[in-house]
Amino acid sequence: MSHLVIAPILLPAVLAGLILLVARGIALQRLIALAGAAGFLALALLLAGRGGAPVAYHLGNWPAPFGIVLIADGLSVLMLLLLAVVALPVLVYTMASGWDARGRHFHALFLFLLAGLAGAFLTADAFNLFVFFELLLIASYGLMVHGGGAGRLRAGIQYVGFNLVGSTLFLFALATIYAVTGTLNMADLAQKWPLLPPGDQALARVAAVLLLMVFAVKGALVPLQFWLPGTYAAAPGPVAALFAIMTKVGAYAALRLGWLVFDAGPTAGMWAELLQPAALATLALGAVGVLGSRDLPRQAAFAAIGSMGLVFLCVAAATPGATVAALYYLIHSTLAGAALFLVADLAGRRGASGPVAALFMASAIAVAGLPPLSGFLGKILLLQALEAQAPLIWSAVLLASFLTILGFALTGSARFWKARGTAPTAAEPLALAATGLLLAGLVAMTLLAGPLTLWLKGVAEGLADPAPYIAATAPQSGG
Amino acid sequence: MNLLIAVTIGLLTACGVYLILRLRTFPVILGLTFLSYAVNIFIFISGRLAPGLPPIIDKAAPGYTDPLPQALVLTAIVISFGMTAVLVLMAIGAHLGAGHDRVDLRDDAEAGE
Amino acid sequence: MTLALIAALPFLGAFLPGLALRAGRGAAALAAALATALALYGVMSHAPAVLRGEVIRWQAGWLPEAGLMFSLRLDGLGLLFATLILGIGLLIILYARFYLDAADPMGRFLSYLMLFQGAMLGIVLSGNLLMLAVFWELTSLTSFLLIGWWSDRPDGRQGARMALAVTGGGGLAMLAGVLLLGRIAGGFELDTVLAARDQIQASPVYLPALLLILLGAFTKSAQFPFHFWLPHAMAAPTPVSAYLHSATMVKAGLFLMARLWPVLAGTPEWTALVAGAGLVTLILGAAIALFKTDLKAILAYSTVSHLGLITFLLGLGTEAAAAAAMVHILAHASFKAALFMLAGIIDHAAHTREIDRLGGLRQQMPLTFALATLAAAAMAGLPPLNGFLSKELMLEAAAHAGGWVVVAAVAGAALSVGYTLRLWSATFLGQTRGPLDHPPHDPGPGLWLAPALLVALVVASGLAPMLLLAPLAQAAAGAVTGHVPHLHLALWHGAEVPALWLSLGAVGAGLALWGLWPRLATLWQTSPRPDAKAIFEALVAGALALSRAVLARADSGRLSGALAIAVGAMLAGGLWAFLTGSHMAGTRPPVPMDLAVLAATAVLAVASLATVVLHRQRLLALLFIGVVGLLIALGFAYLAAPDLALTQITVEVVTVLLMLLSLSFLPRETPAESHPWRRARDLVLAAAAGLGTAALAFALLSRDAAFAPISAYHLAQSKPGAGGTNAVNTIIVDFRGFDTWGEITVLGIAALIIFALADALLSPGPANDRLLARREDPGIAGDRHPVILVMATRLLLPVALMVAAYIFLRGHNMPGGGFVAGLVAAIALMLQYLASGYGWSEARRRLDAHLLIGAGVLVASATGIGAWFAGRPFLTSAYGYLHPWPLEEFEWATAAVFDLGVFLCVLGAVMLALAQLSRLAQRGGERVASAPHDVLAQREDRP
Repeated sequence: MSHLVIAPILLPAVLAGLILLVARGIALQRLIALAGAAGFLALALLLAGRGGAPVAYHLGNWPAPFGIVLIADGLSVLMLLLLAVVALPVLVYTMASGWDARGRHFHALFLFLLAGLAGAFLTADAFNLFVFFELLLIASYGLMVHGGGAGRLRAGIQYVGFNLVGSTLFLFALATIYAVTGTLNMADLAQKWPLLPPGDQALARVAAVLLLMVFAVKGALVPLQFWLPGTYAAAPGPVAALFAIMTKVGAYAALRLGWLVFDAGPTAGMWAELLQPAALATLALGAVGVLGSRDLPRQAAFAAIGSMGLVFLCVAAATPGATVAALYYLIHSTLAGAALFLVADLAGRRGASGPVAALFMASAIAVAGLPPLSGFLGKILLLQALEAQAPLIWSAVLLASFLTILGFALTGSARFWKARGTAPTAAEPLALAATGLLLAGLVAMTLLAGPLTLWLKGVAEGLADPAPYIAATAPQSGG
Repeated sequence: MNLLIAVTIGLLTACGVYLILRLRTFPVILGLTFLSYAVNIFIFISGRLAPGLPPIIDKAAPGYTDPLPQALVLTAIVISFGMTAVLVLMAIGAHLGAGHDRVDLRDDAEAGE
Repeated sequence: MTLALIAALPFLGAFLPGLALRAGRGAAALAAALATALALYGVMSHAPAVLRGEVIRWQAGWLPEAGLMFSLRLDGLGLLFATLILGIGLLIILYARFYLDAADPMGRFLSYLMLFQGAMLGIVLSGNLLMLAVFWELTSLTSFLLIGWWSDRPDGRQGARMALAVTGGGGLAMLAGVLLLGRIAGGFELDTVLAARDQIQASPVYLPALLLILLGAFTKSAQFPFHFWLPHAMAAPTPVSAYLHSATMVKAGLFLMARLWPVLAGTPEWTALVAGAGLVTLILGAAIALFKTDLKAILAYSTVSHLGLITFLLGLGTEAAAAAAMVHILAHASFKAALFMLAGIIDHAAHTREIDRLGGLRQQMPLTFALATLAAAAMAGLPPLNGFLSKELMLEAAAHAGGWVVVAAVAGAALSVGYTLRLWSATFLGQTRGPLDHPPHDPGPGLWLAPALLVALVVASGLAPMLLLAPLAQAAAGAVTGHVPHLHLALWHGAEVPALWLSLGAVGAGLALWGLWPRLATLWQTSPRPDAKAIFEALVAGALALSRAVLARADSGRLSGALAIAVGAMLAGGLWAFLTGSHMAGTRPPVPMDLAVLAATAVLAVASLATVVLHRQRLLALLFIGVVGLLIALGFAYLAAPDLALTQITVEVVTVLLMLLSLSFLPRETPAESHPWRRARDLVLAAAAGLGTAALAFALLSRDAAFAPISAYHLAQSKPGAGGTNAVNTIIVDFRGFDTWGEITVLGIAALIIFALADALLSPGPANDRLLARREDPGIAGDRHPVILVMATRLLLPVALMVAAYIFLRGHNMPGGGFVAGLVAAIALMLQYLASGYGWSEARRRLDAHLLIGAGVLVASATGIGAWFAGRPFLTSAYGYLHPWPLEEFEWATAAVFDLGVFLCVLGAVMLALAQLSRLAQRGGERVASAPHDVLAQREDRP
């Protein structure tokens, strides 16, 4: 029995508890948080090193589906690794910029957020997924209002309020699923779902739609995207950067449950049917938002929405090829989005100095999906994967890219080029380096696109064939 | 009794939905509380109704109600309590900071080129 | 030298100027020049083989999944363009070294220039269409930086944005076209695509692919109607204009058309689109050039016109025309680069580029005059220069096409003569017209050397075309058409060649145009003509306005509107899903109704509705919602859920108390501000949501689960497996203990946030000021010490703590457990706060709640981790029985320790929240500070 599977959840949580117990000074807190983020990265690498075969962890040693099971498979490990890779530079940035000292408990909340996200990526139990959603959400609430201020708090109320409605919906969906199928374990659900008697199918469909909407709230899909721009724009820069991965939780969950459970029986093809128009609208809104927004953080927020549109377009296509594109673009947009938020924060705090302008240019290029960074490659993958519906989807994707480029050119040239009244102050070198590190990740994604897509192909195939995942869970037939 | 419970859930939901659509923080919080009542009962009834059959193991018991949804409701109650508490504090902070307790942000300052 | 190294050299060279800058501007330029020269040398080293017709290749994997390989390929066409890019690039670096002000950061400029050069070189060396697209967009980006170099100038920013929008946008269209092409051809390798002519032209998506690719090519090469960006890109420093608009950027579109000529050309669509656009552009550009007064603007429109000429030649689709295109690409690059550089020299010397203010420079700048005269003559197509040769070839090709094409071609050539004459005469002849501050003079050799070399080339290649022009042009034409043509380049082909007469006619017409210019200019000024730039800007402004209008709705900051949409979407989605699925009514027998339950439900309904109706009076609403919560707890108790009842009631108490406290900081009333129709909308939504959930609940209640619920296992294993008789508790602390672990963590985090929030409110700032201001506002502060509570708590505290302990201990077997126990203890302590005043209680608080939370999470985690040492997974429980004398049998379970963690966390969280509220209250004018509560004392005095 390897405890490695649960370690990414426990390590940050225990360290957060430790901070509460012993660490009063910011220095010690920083040390513990850094150790947590670094340790998290190490754990993710260790898990990745095990290969893509799903590994189960039966909590409390109860057999599935009665107890809670965690499963580390290709997709989980990928998400953990991505989280680790984003979290570490963002944490460094937070420290370098002094953001963490602007309020209380930043580091504990940060570590709890890691634990919550890790749990969401690892759990193979539907209700446990809810619990970890709440865990990561509440940590994000705390981080979002970190530093206080009326504007941030008011945006925070909207964020919390909207997501609480989402959480309520999640519970409605889960209760319906349990009432219809009598189980909560995902693998068990996957086996029972296609066997549902006709009389229950309509109710099962309702549950599936509600669940999809929950993930759509997380993934900021139109028309449930409302919470994102205000939240991301009002959140402290590095927190918004970290949030770049929060929307991906919605995509992760949709991929996981879409492939494992819901693309069968009463709901076969249903998610795709709903997701595609929503994703197209999301893409459009993101692009329009980037064009129409006048400040960098809001622009970055809309870019995040647009990127979710692209990711969900691929998710909706529900083919292994499209999944590869979805995953590649998901990784790319997380890193690029995080970098852009950090740049926006740098520019906001320190002014538009040369290095900041260069970083802006690089991250805007990445976000807009232009070469030489990975966004362009992601777009090539994506367009090819969605070839079947080329006229509509290609036009939408390319038009959205165009508007995004235009938007960034407008704000970029106004913000970084226009003769400036006040001279910018030099940005913290470590903060610049942390932002650069995220962009270096994109460079690596570009150069190593071949091996990376090969790996992602393995992940996508793991999704398309759920048998190993189910076998790893080893569910006994219910009851 | 099924209908009665179903109507109760519906009523609580309706109250909740109406209140979350108000324009001030306090009624929105009340609305979310209503929604959490509604969904807690909803989760509970996903184990169906079995009055008089508590899930306490007893050799003499003729049967048990489904304990799992009850456990889920417990978790949900606690979580929603935590969330509500945070929201209340945020509402206080926003009110003290902004001088009013509106939930809508309309006074968006826009930076020109 | 491998192609990979050649392609990489400019990019490597982009780093050098920055590094070398410390050694001076000259060193920086030298570094850039060195990289360029090295790359040029590399290209030249392959030239003999390529001129023999060989194709040099280099390949590495990149993204094979998408058909994207890092393929490089050097053939005749690539050789021609690579030579231009690097050769003229070298001269531009030399020129820029002396052109740029000392204030301009030379290192950065050269870096951008090298990046651009690398991107251009990448395009022409690409052996894979997707890689070509990569470099294509890269040129758009790097040219954006170069055109916007003088970023403090609005026209620079605007020109750069326009260029990026037009060429970058065209690039996206081209990407789509390339993807289509690759799909038809079965791959993106150039060799694969070029071999698939028949499939491509027979494909149903040939036309879309062609249109998309031409969109890319036309935007890049400034073909009508996308010609407008080019003149505005003249805001760039002159070296940039000279480079981008003679040899590189704008030639990329031509390169693309030439590259894909073998598979795309030859169809009626191709000819109509390409030749048509080329011809229109040829005439339009030349006509506009005739009436411009800015030197660089004239050159810019002349460039547009000449690009049109080359496009036209490519569009004709004949091999001879394609060969002519190659010759003119070479010729145009040489004389136009020279002319741009000379324009820059004049600008430098005379401080103006307006030809109306120039004149007489013949005397003041004889060297510039001489060079410009030769280059301009080439532009006008006069012998014995290379421009003449290519114009002859063009006219020849047009003559073969016949009809109106001939007329148009001659008109273009005539206009070209006209604007050249005007430019040349106005600048150099006559007397100085404008008041010039500094008398202009010829520059130093640093500036004139580069154009002089080019002019030398213009003359030499005109005189010895078979030596200097033909080999390269032939190789390129061979690569384009597949057959190496035998070009007979000569100044004199004999009097029977129609091109000669056409050419003479064009020159004559050009002279006439020049003579008639004043009258024509008046005509031009008064005639209406659409301004493409204004149209473009109106489009952008329209898009901006539209997007802002969308945002005003989609990003309105209105939570209520967003939630209404969300609720509507959820309802619609649910309804749709239900209606599109199959449904059968359930068969589970209903549970009989109880009158008492009916009555209780009626009360609940009334209380709920009262809460809604009276929600504006907040205290009252709170009271009613409390009633609702209590009735729900009763309902749980009735429905065999004692644990739920206990939890619900304790949570309800804490929640209501918390909200009661919050009302000290919030307004007591909600103003009525919703519009009636909004209220109606909300009522409809609420009713629909209510109906939906009720229907769903009813449907579920009236059926059994399709499969046996997993909870049967929990019931069966509760005692033997988990060691407790309370199945709900064993699920919470054991079967699904991980949920609970997450749940207490959530609660702990909630407390942390509350702590942090309150802390922020207590630190200096506007919020804190308002908090302090509340002292003077008793109306809001109100009284916060309900007397009954005050009296009760003193007695209740010890009892409540005992109860908490009892509930905790029995939890595993009977309703109760750590969570409820924690809440009960917290309530007791909370009441203490309420009753005795925050200050009083705060002073007596011994334990930091942070410690409780941290300890709670750690104890719960440690219990779980403890199982690791027994070789079991996290949270695996163990239990057993102890017989400590004199007690009776006592059961222990590790789950109880876990529950202790829960207890600590809950207690800590609630206490922390309260402590913070108390701090807020104290700051906000809490009158009771340190003494035991006086109200209590008074009441006790008179019972």
